[in-house]
Amino acid sequence: MFVKPFRYVRVHDVAEACDLLRDEEEAKVLAGGQSLLPLINAGLFEPGLLVDIAHVPAMQGVARSDGYLEVGALACHAELASNAEVRAGQPLLARAASHVGNPRIRNRGTIGGSLAHADPAAELPLALTALGATVVATDGRTVREIKADEFALSYLSTQLRADELVAHLRVPLLGPGWGWSFTELSRRSGDFAIVAVAVLLRCADGHVLEARVAAAGVGERPVRLGGVEAALSGATRLELPERLGPVREVDPASDAVASAEYRRGLLATLVRRGVDEAFARSEEP
Amino acid sequence: MTDELVLTLTVNGRPVTARGGAHLTLLRWLRDVVHVTDPKYGCGEGICGACTVLVDGEPVSSCILLAAQVTGSSVVTASGLSNEDGSPSLLQRAFHAHHAAQCGFCTPGMIVAAAALLAEGGNRSRTELREALHGNLCRCTGYGPILDAIEAAYAEGGEAGVG
Ligand SMILES: Cc1cc2nc3c(=O)[nH]c(=O)nc-3n(C[C@H](O)[C@H](O)[C@H](O)COP(=O)(O)OP(=O)(O)OC[C@H]3O[C@@H](n4cnc5c(N)ncnc54)[C@H](O)[C@@H]3O)c2cc1C
Ligand code: FES
Ligand code: FES
Repeated sequence: MFVKPFRYVRVHDVAEACDLLRDEEEAKVLAGGQSLLPLINAGLFEPGLLVDIAHVPAMQGVARSDGYLEVGALACHAELASNAEVRAGQPLLARAASHVGNPRIRNRGTIGGSLAHADPAAELPLALTALGATVVATDGRTVREIKADEFALSYLSTQLRADELVAHLRVPLLGPGWGWSFTELSRRSGDFAIVAVAVLLRCADGHVLEARVAAAGVGERPVRLGGVEAALSGATRLELPERLGPVREVDPASDAVASAEYRRGLLATLVRRGVDEAFARSEEP
Repeated sequence: MTDELVLTLTVNGRPVTARGGAHLTLLRWLRDVVHVTDPKYGCGEGICGACTVLVDGEPVSSCILLAAQVTGSSVVTASGLSNEDGSPSLLQRAFHAHHAAQCGFCTPGMIVAAAALLAEGGNRSRTELREALHGNLCRCTGYGPILDAIEAAYAEGGEAGVG
């Protein structure tokens, strides 16, 4: 509980934040603080300066634009779970957000923070990977776009440079014919998932036309399961189980929560359930 | 940009201006600077809920929030949920009547979390209540009496349970 003192500044635009990140030593961005402050409280991280971006207007809110949802990096988990545009246009994202932590964390934690923190079991980076979203990052001078599935490099590390911010996310809207599911298993409600699976299926006339399947908790970052996706092509709902065997394209590690073998088995189970649920949803009017 | 800040927050309806280190969490600022000690330090990681307070009406973990992040906001703790004349609210009386506190360490956070649920209106099944409160841990009661108390508050007055 006794932390090394640090300085704090609240900024009001992106350029101000990025200048501080460049000029100040040991400066770190603070959004919701729901990952950063537990680390600081535990003495695992000792910042010199926290740059609070929570009040930057350009990074707030959710808006619908041509074929996309533009999600501000500061949109909090509770907002994503309840926002009508998100629930209608991208229900997978809303559902993923509702699985994060407990209600207090969802009230403060942000999607930008979740991406930048890059916990390999986190729900939102997984959802964004499955959805083929784009991360829009900026250093205050230039803007660059990074594919969500390439954003994380490994455990707690991303492509983001030290003076860059996640500004917003561009998430494609779901068209007609798409079904989705988000399934996870955690030890208790509110814990990080042991394994989580996001599925999107586009079906017509009872057959899978296109599949996107991604998993978290089975590697250093969320991954698309290309082998599973290929195996589902053309399947009817009844054929789904025979198309899905063990998922060989991942190599999970054993840790204090679960063994590699358990994670592998759990992944296969969640993929099977998730694919069936997504198929069923694709047939709903 | 300094490590010593002057912060102004409304705490339980009362405007408070006090100096504090930039690194102070809202929980430490409330307890050590303002001497509002009903929120408790349990885990410091956002897990247990003993430090739950309302910030602008929303429940948050005050142990993983800097006071500086919420300067200008209104903070309500369990003691601030009593009736205006200082008597216990319907929800607080229900906790008492149903023996929902044993050691009492989780109670201030539980009451704040429950008040936030009641304020949302509607009604909730016991299963939904359990789910909504999964982020508030109790080591004593086994949760039954706590859920009984909240159900009673719903039955007796819904939102009035807050006031
Ligand atoms: C008890 C507990 C349980 C949790 N359970 C889950 C869970 O089940 N699933 C889950 O996914 N998460 C969980 N979390 C983490 C939570 O989702 C955090 O909200 C999230 O990981 C970080 O978001 P934040 O806004 O709080 O970021 P912060 O803590 O403020 O920052 C986190 C990191 O991201 C950086 N950062 C923040 N915003 C930006 C930005 N816009 N651009 C660049 N860098 C940025 C910061 O510098 C820091 O390195 C849990 C947290 C707690 C305390
Ligand atoms: S002390 Fe804040 S959640 Fe445990
Ligand atoms: S009454 Fe003791 S922890 Fe809940």
